[in-house]
Amino acid sequence: MAYVAGTVVMALLAVVQSSLLNRFPFLNGTANLILLATVSWALTGRVTEAMLWAFFGGIFLDLLSGAPFAVSSMALVAAVYLASLTEGRFWEAHPMAPLGVMAVASLVFFALTMAALWISGHPMDLALAMTQVVLPSAFLNVLLALPSSQLAGRVREAAFPPPVRMG
Amino acid sequence: MSRSSSRALLALTFILIAGGLLVLNLGGYLQAAEGMALRPLGALQGWLSQRVTAIQTLLTSPTDLATLRAENLRLEAEVARLERELIAVREQAAEAEVLAGLLGYARTRPESRYVAARVIGQDISPFIRSVWIDRGSDGGLQQGMPVVTERGLVGRVAEVYSTIARIQLITDPQSSVNVRLQSSRADGALQAQLNGELWVEAIDQSASVTPGELVLTSGLGGAFPSDIPVGQILTVRKRDYELFQQAVVQPSADVENLLVVLVITNFQPLAPPGAP
Repeated sequence: MAYVAGTVVMALLAVVQSSLLNRFPFLNGTANLILLATVSWALTGRVTEAMLWAFFGGIFLDLLSGAPFAVSSMALVAAVYLASLTEGRFWEAHPMAPLGVMAVASLVFFALTMAALWISGHPMDLALAMTQVVLPSAFLNVLLALPSSQLAGRVREAAFPPPVRMG
Repeated sequence: MSRSSSRALLALTFILIAGGLLVLNLGGYLQAAEGMALRPLGALQGWLSQRVTAIQTLLTSPTDLATLRAENLRLEAEVARLERELIAVREQAAEAEVLAGLLGYARTRPESRYVAARVIGQDISPFIRSVWIDRGSDGGLQQGMPVVTERGLVGRVAEVYSTIARIQLITDPQSSVNVRLQSSRADGALQAQLNGELWVEAIDQSASVTPGELVLTSGLGGAFPSDIPVGQILTVRKRDYELFQQAVVQPSADVENLLVVLVITNFQPLAPPGAP
């Protein structure tokens, strides 16, 4: 059930990203709702779901973009996998951990996307891309990482409460 | 198998599936599936875009001045029409000078046919500048058709599905438009930077280009009809040791805030989209 519901949410987030969020860029960057949602969900420990959502979320993103199809999927799955590596680390529970994870996940996502665009023949000025798109977008993602991960934590608690041992 | 290695395997599986989809898409096998998936997404985009635009309008304009707004819109349209007429007159005058020896020759241009379309979304990738419109092949749109507003060139149709289409804007770094400077009659190629800045490249060093000069499509290459306003020269960069000079252009159309565009449907482009 969570797989289907999450996939529908990813489709809605992709439409919101295209119709609403991209109207309000910071320099030329925008926060990536699907990256925020999937990485935050991975940080709650539900990595398999997060990966599936990242896969379908990336497909929805690429459907609404001129970028090569399925590239966002690969980049998002890679970002979620990286986020999942934090599990079990001593700093996992640190309240600021989502900021660092989101920063790294954003940079990995953009690095893979830019590489794919460059390979497909899209002109890519690295300096401009970094200053106008990657860093502003990563900044916005990091800015939204804390509320996003807290929301994901609450949704997880509500939807999947921890089992209670009786007696 | 440990949990971390099973996750790595899962991630690898998804990446491989995505790679497979990428290959299938490059081969054109997913076109029909994409069209089917985009139908509900496009409808949802259109619905949400209308609401967002309505809220934006409500927030940014005085609510009790509806008449004034209507009048302002009418006057703006009038100004745009007069500007277009002025451009056409200037262009005709410049052409008459060039074609002075060809007495009796009158240049005729077929009347363009337009399909109006509403902009329903922007490209999700920040590296690509394109917008989605609510008309597709059902409305007679085809790949490569030029897209304009009343102020000038916006781009061209890059992808067409049954009910929606993607427009590659002139501010996309992959876009290239052959242009002519109205006064100096110099040709060049309009290229965009990642930050949306427009440059006219490859202008002949001997041309006397001045800021304020109008930039029009030249029609060379057959990708666009000629004489569509593109913008105005802002600054010129001319260095003696370079083969060509360059100029920064202010686009005529407000490509960052498009609401409605016109697709020219009776123009058949010769060059495929993406080619200069």
